[in-house]
Amino acid sequence: MQTVKITVNGALYEETIPARMLLVDFLRDRLALTGTHVGCTHEGVCGACTIHLDGEAVKSCMMLAVQADGHAVTTVEGLARNQELSVLQKSFREHHGLQCGFCTPGILMNMTDFLARHPNPSDEEIRQGLIGNLCRCTGYVHIVKAVREASKTLASTAG
Amino acid sequence: MFPAHIEEYVRPTSVADALAANARYEDGEAMFIAGGQSLMQAIKSRMARPRCLIDLQAIEALKGIGFEQGLRIGAMTRYVEIAGDERLRGAYAALRDAAAHVGDRQVRNRGTIGGSCCWNYVASCTPAVVLGLGGTFNLVAASGARRAVPASEFLIGPLETARRPDEMLESVAFAPVAGRAGSAYRKWGLLKDALPVVGVCVQVTLDAAGVCTAARVSLSGLSAGAQMATAGDAALVGSKGEPAALERAFAAIADSADVQADKWASEAYRQQLIRTLGADVAATAFARAVV
Repeated sequence: MQTVKITVNGALYEETIPARMLLVDFLRDRLALTGTHVGCTHEGVCGACTIHLDGEAVKSCMMLAVQADGHAVTTVEGLARNQELSVLQKSFREHHGLQCGFCTPGILMNMTDFLARHPNPSDEEIRQGLIGNLCRCTGYVHIVKAVREASKTLASTAG
Repeated sequence: MFPAHIEEYVRPTSVADALAANARYEDGEAMFIAGGQSLMQAIKSRMARPRCLIDLQAIEALKGIGFEQGLRIGAMTRYVEIAGDERLRGAYAALRDAAAHVGDRQVRNRGTIGGSCCWNYVASCTPAVVLGLGGTFNLVAASGARRAVPASEFLIGPLETARRPDEMLESVAFAPVAGRAGSAYRKWGLLKDALPVVGVCVQVTLDAAGVCTAARVSLSGLSAGAQMATAGDAALVGSKGEPAALERAFAAIADSADVQADKWASEAYRQQLIRTLGADVAATAFARAVV
């Protein structure tokens, strides 16, 4: 067992955990932050568990919680501020960027990081950015649209 | 929990401390973890059951890209950093081609060049590109002894390298390239950015008149892992990258390469991929050859 200090959505958590605990299990089972989903589990291909580690989109099933010791994690629960959804979250609701919603937290986390680095993306770039997230319902058309529209909203409200 | 019990996790801040931690265990019982994008799959499936994990994330000496004598890339340098480094042009551009299309952006935010090469997965792109560009692996042992191993000797075969149990990889280095040189890498897979069914890396060196004086071609996606393909050298050297010469070169490579048939592609399909991808990649490498 090992004691770790991990900042999650701005709050510092100190927990004693086994080294083999995956970060996604730490978030879900220890902190009860169940917005981060587990899809493929072994291969790390579905992206449903995507979170931010120090601001970068990574898969929380592909690392141990002890590896996040001393780092800052953001989960989908941390996107809204003061009960107000982020621009990207609102865009997913407006443009129906989800059906069952299982993949949505991972897509939101990946695309939040993506838009920060690619403020004016083409549809092709959005699709390229979504390679690490599987959606089995939508065929991605509305997801791409939601990301594209969010980028326009962010651009129009920036600065 | 998916991983088997892990007795100890350590996060050293120096290469010496990492090697000392490794030395406390029997060979193979402790494992270095870099980005973990391959190793965690093995740990979760319990194919790998390390007693101790030595996390290299806090060793700053293993990070970064330098151009002091040719090119030196620290083992812990991530794909996202390689893909985004515009200094990797000409002779080294193939590294960016490969890094920009490994897995997906989440993987590229964690995965490292050193981790990929030390794991040496059968179909992975990075070892094939390091081999194709004539790279060297800089290893350091617990005793402090250092050795530089050419990629052709380091990459023994799928999941096997020349790294000894008491050694770790510090960096991957590339000697300065004299004259005009260009390189490129491209792969074809069943899904975009998936592991390659076939990938081709080409590096060419040109004289002042644009005539090829040296060529290096390597392949990924074949069952023997990353490998050089020399059958096209005769057609490439002496050419200016004319389509007919490139076609001839990759016809020869496709004919001589040991291609496998599997559920992804037949032998004939892989040969066709080598011909079409190869000519295209080589044309890009010629076009990128800069002074």
